[in-house]
Amino acid sequence: MIEFWILAVILIVSAVWTIAASKPVYSVVALLLNFAALAVLYVTLSAEFLAVIQIIVYSGAILVLFVFVIALLGSGVAPFPMGPNRLPRIWVPGAVVVLVSLGFLVYTVSQAVPAPTRPPNGPVGAANVFGSVGDFGTALFTVQLLPFEVTALILMVAVIGVITLGGDQIRDAAPRGHERKVERAMREAILREGTD
Amino acid sequence: MSTTFGRCAAEMPHHLVGVPGSYPLLIALWLLPLAGAILCWAFGPQLRTLAGWLVSAVVGSSFVLAALSWNAATQSVGGGLGANQALGSWLPGFDFGLLLDPLSLLWTFIITGVGFLIVFYSIGYMEGDRAYARFFAYMSFFVFAMLTLVLSDNWVGLLVGWGLVGLASYFLIGFWFDRPSAVAAARKAFVINVVGDVGMMFAIFLIVANVHSIGYGDTFSAAAGLSPSLIFWICATLFIGAAAKSAQVPLHTWLPDAMEGPTPVSALIHAATMVTAGVYLVARSAPLWNHSPQAQLLVGTVGGVTALIGAILGCTQWDIKRILAYSTMSQIGYMIMGVGVGAYEGGVALFFTHAFFKAQLFLGAGLVIHALNNEQDVRKMGGLWKKMPFAFWVMLTAVLAITGVPGFSGFFSKDEVIYGDLQFGHPVLFSIGALTAAITAYYMFRMLFIAFFGEYRGNVDHPHAPGWKMNVPVAILVAPSVAIGAALLSGGENSPWARFFASQFGSETVAIASHRPPAIPEGATSTIVFVLVLIGAGIAWWRYASAPAQRDAAGRLEGEARTTPAILVHRFYVDDAIQLLFVRPAQRLGAFFGSVFDPHVIDGAVRDVVFWARWLGALVRSFQTGLVRAYALILVFGAACFIVYYAFAAGALH
Amino acid sequence: MAVPIDHYVGLAAVVFFIGVVGVIVRRNPLIMLMSIELMFNSANLLFIAFARVWLQNAGHIFAFLVITVAAAEAAIGLAIIVTTFGPERYVDVDDVRALRG
Repeated sequence: MIEFWILAVILIVSAVWTIAASKPVYSVVALLLNFAALAVLYVTLSAEFLAVIQIIVYSGAILVLFVFVIALLGSGVAPFPMGPNRLPRIWVPGAVVVLVSLGFLVYTVSQAVPAPTRPPNGPVGAANVFGSVGDFGTALFTVQLLPFEVTALILMVAVIGVITLGGDQIRDAAPRGHERKVERAMREAILREGTD
Repeated sequence: MSTTFGRCAAEMPHHLVGVPGSYPLLIALWLLPLAGAILCWAFGPQLRTLAGWLVSAVVGSSFVLAALSWNAATQSVGGGLGANQALGSWLPGFDFGLLLDPLSLLWTFIITGVGFLIVFYSIGYMEGDRAYARFFAYMSFFVFAMLTLVLSDNWVGLLVGWGLVGLASYFLIGFWFDRPSAVAAARKAFVINVVGDVGMMFAIFLIVANVHSIGYGDTFSAAAGLSPSLIFWICATLFIGAAAKSAQVPLHTWLPDAMEGPTPVSALIHAATMVTAGVYLVARSAPLWNHSPQAQLLVGTVGGVTALIGAILGCTQWDIKRILAYSTMSQIGYMIMGVGVGAYEGGVALFFTHAFFKAQLFLGAGLVIHALNNEQDVRKMGGLWKKMPFAFWVMLTAVLAITGVPGFSGFFSKDEVIYGDLQFGHPVLFSIGALTAAITAYYMFRMLFIAFFGEYRGNVDHPHAPGWKMNVPVAILVAPSVAIGAALLSGGENSPWARFFASQFGSETVAIASHRPPAIPEGATSTIVFVLVLIGAGIAWWRYASAPAQRDAAGRLEGEARTTPAILVHRFYVDDAIQLLFVRPAQRLGAFFGSVFDPHVIDGAVRDVVFWARWLGALVRSFQTGLVRAYALILVFGAACFIVYYAFAAGALH
Repeated sequence: MAVPIDHYVGLAAVVFFIGVVGVIVRRNPLIMLMSIELMFNSANLLFIAFARVWLQNAGHIFAFLVITVAAAEAAIGLAIIVTTFGPERYVDVDDVRALRG
């Protein structure tokens, strides 16, 4: 029980720090903390395989991707150059919607009759116990084969999309001199005025 | 020379419709002029002078075909008189076809025969005109339209021909369209004709609503069963059309202005054929008129009044064509009066003879006009009997015919009409007819004397004598004007004329007409009329041709022009009245719609629609900020709504 | 386990809505993407928790798929950010010195 509350606190604090940090690099680090706490939480829920996957994929791949992009955009340390805030008080309706929804959810759930948690079906670490690799793998390649294949397709589409979006830049030489200045001026204008 | 109306008790079978069959000659004679018109329209520039010969040949061929159809037209088989060629059926009761019976055959002869002479004459008259081929196309089209009018066996075909004839008249009056006066005259003629068309349409509505058919035969068969007031209204509205087309008071104002067209046009359309369409209409629908004495009285009166007014106005004109125009109006008034009171054969006889001598008058005037380089004012003529003897003799014979000098054709026909007034019980109309005969003599001889007698008062040194192409047709017309009356109309009941029309107007005319033998025998009325004619001619002689009148002729004519009473100069103010009552308000209404209603109401409505569409668009556009965060907020809001909904739907809450 | 399931629901809801606020309020596109990842993870937490309650590994499978799709989506989102806001001028990796410090 106690581990739940500690982990819960870490989860919430790191989430708030993610969205509130002044520099994007700090946000990435906070997010990393979030993912780590989440992985531990998964372990407490007998989902060992998924905890590992969380670490490897989420914090090991996605966050690294974020870091690369921050580095690429040159705004990791300095604040991102931005134009004037066009919706300055949007947090007001946002807060209203969020609090109302949250309250509603909490109230609804509290009205529900909780179901008793079933006991685990084997010692942790044993081969086909719930939450283990074997159990997971068996399900993935037999019962849930279709989602697996579709996911593979989605990943391929994502790769194609990324290459289409930015891949040509690898081949083209970066523009030099005056063209670079013009491009930068255009981009700064976009940032200032938006893209409409 | 008694008339056919002496036949009282002889019951002749009445035939209402032609003998059905296949008559290719009839179709050919009807469509040939159309082909001629289309050829001239399409190939005008290539044809050039050939257009005139082509159309003459076409119209002449139609005449020949009509002559060949004599037997078909006069056949009387079973219940039918004449030839009926069916042309197809549109709806039940709407059967179209052609009918060639004695009445329409007569009109066809005049249209194609006199038409041929006039078209031939035009080859010379219109020589050198820029739009030579277009003229002949229009003439051929007119002949086709007029044939459609007289050859139809149903009211709708009649109306189609009616409208097309009005259109052809518009084309031809405004032929020289760079003259604003010609354009205005054409428009005036057309508008007045349209008024008549509306009347005709109402008549046809009434007929179709009550008889459920558009055929003449069905209408006449059903006429006995219709209520008298209905028949009166049918006849009255039909007569509106007839009055417009035949230039009867008060729809007559277009005819004098129509003289803006070339002289052959005036001869053909506005003397011999188109203006007689009203007479044809009344004669054709005789069975209907015989059922409504009130309608007959109306028509007779209008005809008589028109005859009188036309004659009076003819006394004050100085343009030779206008004199002839008012003369036409007056003579048509006679014809309408004749067929109106029930003297069908008389009115139609006058049409027949009038076609010849009126065409002769116009073509003869055309000879003079052409020779004097388009001079039409008689004050600038004079002494032409020496310079243009051929024209003089032509005009003289025609004037003798029109005034009704015994022996000439006009005598026979006019007398039939005037006596018919008395026969059918209209002594007032008889008096009007007799008086008008005197005035007719006066103004016709006045024209003759001023133009041809005395010394030449004009400016042209050498009158350009017309060629053979113009002289020959006019010469051909002399014989009929002079002699045809004697040939066809004399002999009373046994005259060729009476026998020709024996079956056409038979029993109704006799049985229904109010029939009291008139107090005055026919010989006496003829003598009275002749005396009046001599008086009229004598006054004209004394004023214009006698020796005292010839001294300072030019000055006297100018003096007369100045002292003409204002009411006559303004032609009884009919034109002004129409202008005030109808034209001005219509123009004001048009101006109102054009300057107020159209820009403000119509355009305003459109602008309002545009405004609201824009406003709505702007409103919706204000949502599309393009800001991702705003969209995200709305997304969350929508998701929250879904959550709430599903919570309720799943029963988690109540 | 001793932790009732609604605790997990509440925790996941709180983290989720923190992510929502992050998307709405922050203007930096990278932070927005990270907030979206937060939302994904809260959903994953719920899947795992309920999988434990019912002892169904379908929840695990679905969480796995969510991770995969989230990865793909993050990749594409980052690619869009990069092409929209543009790399400044980096062809040489050695020029990438924003992390210096």
